[in-house]
Amino acid sequence: MSKKKIETIRKKIDKLDHQLLYLLNQRAEQVIELGMIKHKLDLKVFDPKRERDIFVRMTEKNPGPLHVDAIVRIFERIIDESRRLERIEAYEKDE
Amino acid sequence: MLIVMATKATPKMVDDVCAVIESMGLKPHPMPGALRTAIGITGNKAQVDSNVILSQAGVKDIIHVTKPFKLVSREFYPENTIVDVGGVKIGGPEFVIMAGPCSVESREQCMIIAEHVKNAGAKIFRGGAFKPRTSPYSFQGLKEEGLKILAEVRDKFDLKIVTEAVDTETIGLVAEYSDIIQIGARNMQNYTLLRKAGQTKKPVLLKRGMSATLEEFLMAAEYIMAEDNPNVILCERGVRTFADHTRNTLDLSAIPFVKRTSHLPIISDPSHGTGKRHKVIPLSRASMAVGADGLIVEVHHDPAKALSDGPQALTPDMFDDLMNQMRSIASVLDRECT
Amino acid sequence: MIVVFNENATPVQIQKVTEKLLDKGFDLHRSTGTSQVVFGVVGDTLAVDTRDFEVLEGVHEVIRISEPYKLASRSFKKEDTIVKVGKATFGGKKVGMIAGPCSIESRDQIKKIAKMIKKTGTKVLRGGAYKPRTSPYAFQGMGEEGLKYLREAGDMNDMAVVSEVMDRMDIIPALKYVDMIQVGARNMQNFALLKELGKINIPILLKRGMSATLQELLMAAEYIMAGGNHQIILCERGIRTFENYTRNTLDISAVPVLQKLTHLPVITDPSHGVGIRDKVAPMARASIAAGADGLILEVHYDPEKAFSDGAQTLYVNQYEQLVKELKIIASAVNRTL
Repeated sequence: MSKKKIETIRKKIDKLDHQLLYLLNQRAEQVIELGMIKHKLDLKVFDPKRERDIFVRMTEKNPGPLHVDAIVRIFERIIDESRRLERIEAYEKDE
Repeated sequence: MLIVMATKATPKMVDDVCAVIESMGLKPHPMPGALRTAIGITGNKAQVDSNVILSQAGVKDIIHVTKPFKLVSREFYPENTIVDVGGVKIGGPEFVIMAGPCSVESREQCMIIAEHVKNAGAKIFRGGAFKPRTSPYSFQGLKEEGLKILAEVRDKFDLKIVTEAVDTETIGLVAEYSDIIQIGARNMQNYTLLRKAGQTKKPVLLKRGMSATLEEFLMAAEYIMAEDNPNVILCERGVRTFADHTRNTLDLSAIPFVKRTSHLPIISDPSHGTGKRHKVIPLSRASMAVGADGLIVEVHHDPAKALSDGPQALTPDMFDDLMNQMRSIASVLDRECT
Repeated sequence: MIVVFNENATPVQIQKVTEKLLDKGFDLHRSTGTSQVVFGVVGDTLAVDTRDFEVLEGVHEVIRISEPYKLASRSFKKEDTIVKVGKATFGGKKVGMIAGPCSIESRDQIKKIAKMIKKTGTKVLRGGAYKPRTSPYAFQGMGEEGLKYLREAGDMNDMAVVSEVMDRMDIIPALKYVDMIQVGARNMQNFALLKELGKINIPILLKRGMSATLQELLMAAEYIMAGGNHQIILCERGIRTFENYTRNTLDISAVPVLQKLTHLPVITDPSHGVGIRDKVAPMARASIAAGADGLILEVHYDPEKAFSDGAQTLYVNQYEQLVKELKIIASAVNRTL
């Protein structure tokens, strides 16, 4: 009984993971486009104000059960990876 | 061995004694003093017959020097040596301050820093053109281009130049452009380089090795002086110890020891001695109080962007503060600091 | 590299550090804890002076994870490097032995010693021609003439020869005579010399500086390797400590530590390491037991009359005895001699 339950939950998680994967990559595509524009306009990749705004908005809208600190850490990682992506794209355009 | 001449000994008598010493296969070093002349003897190839020397006219006494160093010892030459760097005298009443960036990075950088330290009262400008770096991948200096920038600083601001020579191949170049040749701590026992530095006859700033005893330090100076170059300025720059709150431990006790054992001037380098900007001023004060003849400090107008050793460079404001503090201590200690 | 912030670091301080790291081309992995922020810094941190970040406001600590040397590191090359010097090898299963007098004193002296040492199976002969002496008045070595005698002695006994060079100007003459060039402890950070040695293609015996950390020793090796010469044997020769019973303190722990950090062979020099004759053999045995890839020892038929370092020089019969003992120890640690 409980074995079957575990399997059901895992299936749900897998499905959500696929959705997350799709969304993260959707986000990444937007990031690349933004990076190209920033590069063209000679704007800095690192925009601390914008990053703070994201953290504030996400923690305010956080319905739980994830703790707000956890939300910050997760979005920090997403933004770190986005910045890396922007940097690499800009660099490759320069080459 | 040291021969003490009588107060009434004539120059001719001194010359005769020197000739006798030479005939024994040894090297005489006549040293005229305020009261009398002394003659030092170096070379260990032959035995010295004391009786022959004592029988010469004008010889008062023979002193056997017990230390392994001779020319650098106070027994040999009792009065303080004053090294004259184009009018800037090191080892006399004046407390001389040498300041500038760790590395010469650009013409603009040197001009900004030089103007500031000159106005604040520094007499000598420092800046590395050849940099000995622990990593082969770090910035190695601008080399001759850097030396040319330093020469420009000298002309424009009337500052004397001290810069490091790192090998025998480029020391000639360094001697050409600078007023004082610096031998860094890592090269304190690079004997070929020490000899070459001696042969240039220019003032030499000799830094103490990271783990050198004071005897080894003075023996390194002996190498330079053995080439007939009396213009040696010693520099304490910190020794390696177990303590890790600073990069090195500035051994200020070395200064009074050296002053007693040797006649050579000695200055202190609190920038390398501590490796941290905020420790530089207190240790500069202590250096003067303990009897040092001057300081060599690193100053950078934008330490955060310095290509080397930025963390230990003073900002221009801190350097002004340092100079003011040194002046007020100098007045108490009867030293001059302008 | 990891940057740890103070507990009370302000967002502005953290932002400044972030900007500086990004300016230098690094990528970051931030981790904001409940009380402290930590950055993982990704990128080529090889040439970074960690103090550049330590002095920034709000920074508590900067920790280096990757080593500042590359070519010399075990992570760059997994397999042990085997350096061949004549018929001897260093770094393989066989333990390499180097022996001879501190200074070459005459043609007869070096020939006599070479002949005696050869009988023990030793394949590399040492002898100083350029001597770094603390006093300018002490014996400074025979120079190029000495190297010539060393070569002759080596050839007559089918041994390779090693000698120290103190200045880059001496490298070219030395190459005519020697099979390996030694860099002495005092010159471990003579960078001009190291760079020049990177350009030649014979093995280098690099001695650890009197107060050098193992990282600095490996950085010195990196200088040579960056020039293209990868045949380096590292040598622990004792460091300066507060203990003054022995001349130096032979840091045998350097052997296993270095072997973990680098692929280069590591040998020890018990003669300089302790400076007292009767302590040389025990330290030599301990070195092999600790896994050293070889030894360099000072041997003379009449140490009392040697021109330099007589007090730390073994008599020939002591050396013969030692080699016998070392063979037993080597086999116990799965090596041969």
